[in-house]
Amino acid sequence: MDLITSWMGNIPEFAVPFALAALGLIITEKSGVLALGAEGLMLVGAVIGVGAALTFDNTAVALAIAMIAASIVSLLFALMVLVMRINQVISGLVLVFFCQGLTTLTGTLMGWTNQPVSGLGSIALWPLSELPYVGRFFIQNIVVYLVPLVFVFSVWALNRTTHGLRLRAVGENPQAADAAGISVLGYRLAAIVIGAALIGLAGAFIAVLSNKLWISNMTAGRGWIAVALVIFARWSPWKALAGALLFGCIEALIPQLAASGIKLPQYFVFMAPYAITLGVMVWVAVSKRDISSQPGALGAPFIREERT
Amino acid sequence: MKKLILSAGFALASFFGLMNIANAEGLTLDGPPKIAMLYISPTNDGGWTQAFDEARQRLEKDLDIKIQYVESVPESASAIRPAVERFIKRGANIIIGTAFGYSDTFKSLSEDYPDVAFLNGSGTTNGPNLLSYYGRTYESQYLCGMAAGAASESGKLGFVAANPFGVVNWTINAYAMGAREMNPDATVTVVYTGAWNDPTKERSATKALIDQGADVIGQHVDTPTPQLVAQENGVYGTGHHRDFREFAPEATVCSSVWVWDRFLKNELEKIIAGNWVPAPHGALLSMQEGGTDIACCGPNIDEEEEAKIMAAREKLMNGELQIYAGPLTDQNGTVRAAAGEVVSDGDLWQMDWFVDGVITQQ
Repeated sequence: MDLITSWMGNIPEFAVPFALAALGLIITEKSGVLALGAEGLMLVGAVIGVGAALTFDNTAVALAIAMIAASIVSLLFALMVLVMRINQVISGLVLVFFCQGLTTLTGTLMGWTNQPVSGLGSIALWPLSELPYVGRFFIQNIVVYLVPLVFVFSVWALNRTTHGLRLRAVGENPQAADAAGISVLGYRLAAIVIGAALIGLAGAFIAVLSNKLWISNMTAGRGWIAVALVIFARWSPWKALAGALLFGCIEALIPQLAASGIKLPQYFVFMAPYAITLGVMVWVAVSKRDISSQPGALGAPFIREERT
Repeated sequence: MKKLILSAGFALASFFGLMNIANAEGLTLDGPPKIAMLYISPTNDGGWTQAFDEARQRLEKDLDIKIQYVESVPESASAIRPAVERFIKRGANIIIGTAFGYSDTFKSLSEDYPDVAFLNGSGTTNGPNLLSYYGRTYESQYLCGMAAGAASESGKLGFVAANPFGVVNWTINAYAMGAREMNPDATVTVVYTGAWNDPTKERSATKALIDQGADVIGQHVDTPTPQLVAQENGVYGTGHHRDFREFAPEATVCSSVWVWDRFLKNELEKIIAGNWVPAPHGALLSMQEGGTDIACCGPNIDEEEEAKIMAAREKLMNGELQIYAGPLTDQNGTVRAAAGEVVSDGDLWQMDWFVDGVITQQ
């Protein structure tokens, strides 16, 4: 089969988890909470998604349970950064290590490792699926098609609703938001939980829909790439989606080149996705066009002044 | 001058003295044997560690001895050392590791505990009481290549591999040679994923190979993903580590499997008997010595082909067949072994060349 056709068909598999995780991170970080725990929450979504799929034999239920599970685990992170006001960087790192151990243990004890699940069938988006070269991009499972809708809804909610405005206000200037009567911790808690649900869905996508099995630490650092993508996208959901697609294109191209016998230096190819990410981040930093798009209070715990 | 001669004499004397100790007296355990194993991942990982755990259970029965173990010990000294020392404190005197990344820590532990016997699977360090061991996976993968060549209609085989270095490249070359034994026109297209355990990359590699016309997928990565994808797409495959018919019964025609107990049983008996002297450069196990074997044959292999594969297995088992025997020339025409010679172990470890029929990136 044609290299390009095959390549196009594999892009969403790589791009969707990056896009969903990056969107989840953006929602959390817009409220001023620096979230580094994506890798861990993705693992939670992955293992619980597979476990639920094995238990209930229903993929939609499995995805929902995976999202809820990631949200529940994120409450621990919320407890650390909102209530105890522990350093957000350290809390995020701890969350990742905790989840790596927790998910490996869960998968092992429950016997979920290497157990195939059924996943979802592909739907052809006619007539796009008949196009030459790019046709297979439009033969995907339903969740892939929902991703742009989730983005549209999230951007609308963030930019066009009162709750979105308050969430951004909390992230830009929590003192002012507090003075205006907005519950800073309430909005931050909501942002953490909603973000975690999307990140959990990203993990469940990798395990339940794409690979159809759970293997310990199977997200293989994709949560960290999502963290980089958010910075790369300057907290703009649409740029994050574009970045995820770019990254997905490169990742999906690598095996295609080898499979069609095109000879390239192997280690250079392994390095390419990261080198390009690095290059774009440097370019964004140097061009400094919208450096201010970083939420003003990102990473700073909110401490209300004591009342008398 | 006198002083110099004297000190040289002392140096020589002490050198030979040490040599004597090293040569004449092997390790003899202080008390009754107590064995403990360290696994790098959970026992039900479906591959590498599960094969070790299955070997452990067979060893317990064969040697009539209890073998303790601990799972998921990462490849860092701060994790390995406490785990090993805890076992030693509880009286263990034979420690078996299972990872390349344990090599250095096992070396320093073996120096700190000279009365304890250390064995390390896929390790690189050796010493008077430390033996690293690994299997000549190219033998079993040669047989899998034969099965793949027999199962393929198109003669186009795909191979999903982890990283381009010696132990992976030797399986790829052997796979191609085995395939060409059954189908002289067979080719093996290789996709390296750059990771041992990344099912997402393995899946896209397998799909890409199938899209390009491969109808049998070999593998040297840790997860059964390539076999699952082969089954989803109605093509065949060959597994690595364990019998992957467990995961993809309709696709897996042959698997290279670990049979560590065949080697460890002998070695443990030697240690228990006393005066154990480990091989100075480690044990690189042929099928004859244990290490690897095959689980064969799955679908699309007829009886005649199966008989041919089993005959080759028999020859490997009794040492008649050498995979990397000359005359052997790589794709660029460089002679790698002259007639009557065999590629040395040192050259095997560094293998960065490919035989005819292998299509790979550089």
